[in-house]
Amino acid sequence: MIRIKNLEFRYSAEAPPVLQSVDAQIEDGQYAALIGPNGCGKTTLAKHLNGLLIPTSGDVWVDGMNTKDPSSLRDLRRAVGMVFQNPDNQIVGMTVEEDLSFGPGNLRLPAAEIGRRVEEALHTVGIAGYEKRPTHTLSGCEKRLVAIAGVLAMQPRYLVFDEPTSFLDPAGKRRILNVIRKLNESGIAIIHVTHDMDEIIESDRVLVMTEGRISLAGTTGDVLGRVEELKVMGLGPPQVTELMWRLRQSGQDVQETILTIDEAVKEISSLILRKSGPERNSARSGV
Amino acid sequence: MVHRLDPRVKILATLVLSMTILQADPAKAALLSVFLLGGALLSRLSWRDVAAALRPLVFFFCLLFLLHLFFTDGRPLFPALPVVTMEGLSRGLITTWQFMALVVCAALLTMTTTPSELVSGIERLLRPLRAVRISSYDLAIMVSLALRFVPTLLLEFHRLREAQLSRGANFREGTVMERLRKMSSLASVLVIQTFQRADDLVQAMEGRGYERGPRTYLKELKMGTADYTVMITTLGFAAALCTLSI
Repeated sequence: MIRIKNLEFRYSAEAPPVLQSVDAQIEDGQYAALIGPNGCGKTTLAKHLNGLLIPTSGDVWVDGMNTKDPSSLRDLRRAVGMVFQNPDNQIVGMTVEEDLSFGPGNLRLPAAEIGRRVEEALHTVGIAGYEKRPTHTLSGCEKRLVAIAGVLAMQPRYLVFDEPTSFLDPAGKRRILNVIRKLNESGIAIIHVTHDMDEIIESDRVLVMTEGRISLAGTTGDVLGRVEELKVMGLGPPQVTELMWRLRQSGQDVQETILTIDEAVKEISSLILRKSGPERNSARSGV
Repeated sequence: MVHRLDPRVKILATLVLSMTILQADPAKAALLSVFLLGGALLSRLSWRDVAAALRPLVFFFCLLFLLHLFFTDGRPLFPALPVVTMEGLSRGLITTWQFMALVVCAALLTMTTTPSELVSGIERLLRPLRAVRISSYDLAIMVSLALRFVPTLLLEFHRLREAQLSRGANFREGTVMERLRKMSSLASVLVIQTFQRADDLVQAMEGRGYERGPRTYLKELKMGTADYTVMITTLGFAAALCTLSI
């Protein structure tokens, strides 16, 4: 469990606070989304979770370890993996397997164990067979998968993703989001930092950040339901999400994960086709 | 098969051969040439590969040869042309051969070894430097990061250049000074971005548990029969050449 208690952070004593009175809790195995407009302090908060930044006041505990305690830094970094926004700035290896072996190598694991972890991580993110590929020849999406696998090879209990889908095409986005969901299903707690309302649908819990504070927190259903409040914070859900959400609210059997208008059209027409048989009338009134 | 040798063996063999090359007289040069040729054959390198390594330096080789040919005192080769001497010819030939042999020797190493293998080989060879407080692990990380970022920075440079070209910059016209100034404005942006990158990289590396000092690797180097054979053969050959005086 990660516990954040009354956290305040300033870059220097005179500077205005970037984060203030932040309280939050992330349970084991939870999928938490941290959402907010650009510049609200999401990334700064994320960097507190594995001790890259230390609170100016207040505390962050990860499984009982305080991030201020230098003696637990090694275990902390092992427990909380961090995938940054730009994969080009976090891939250290010239080849995929070399990059993936960086973390386990830092943990001074024996070669055989490193090899096992490299294989497993590649398999988990779905790029098995990429071992020998030079990292600079990979596509944007593949680079991100390598960055994720590189952190995965440390076998973290928590994974922080900072804007994991930025600059990707829709197919790439879906691929990354699927990997994140799969990782969560395997028991790793996820902290997914994003400014995109479309991406929080998979999460169990949402923390909304504005101007360095947590302004709204709750289950994803709860938070998404408060459409009006979100709009005030500049976080109105896109129309498709809102439409599908309202359809589900009214008891219709539609998928939650629909992101594009095309998908929504397909989903709604298939819903109408399904319903047009036995309960024609109720379908009409529902849609 | 040379590709699969332990990089340490290849690095050491290259060093030993280079030293031998620098002390060679014509007879030893002939033997060394045969030895290098054997190495190239075993590495399955074609003539074309070797020629490709030598080609960029052809001008340098010619210059080296001509300088020795014309500026060495001694017995004239032709009575009509007293500056060209016997000694000049032989020194020109041997010096040019030495440089060509060094290049071929280095090419044999780099063409059969990936950069990562080279780095890990050097890292292990430098481990004894711990005694003078130089960490070979840190050196290896520095070298491999530098190599890793070459393509990234090149790409970034091209992007920046294209961005400036599309806004009307022209890097091909103007005096040398003007062109230099334009290029330096490009370089300063690149340097700033590279520092930003370095910042991110440090955080990512720390996040993945990086600490200075000892670490382990996916591939631990192990010397096999082939490695010992090559090492002993090379050392024996070099020693024989050194003691031999024909």
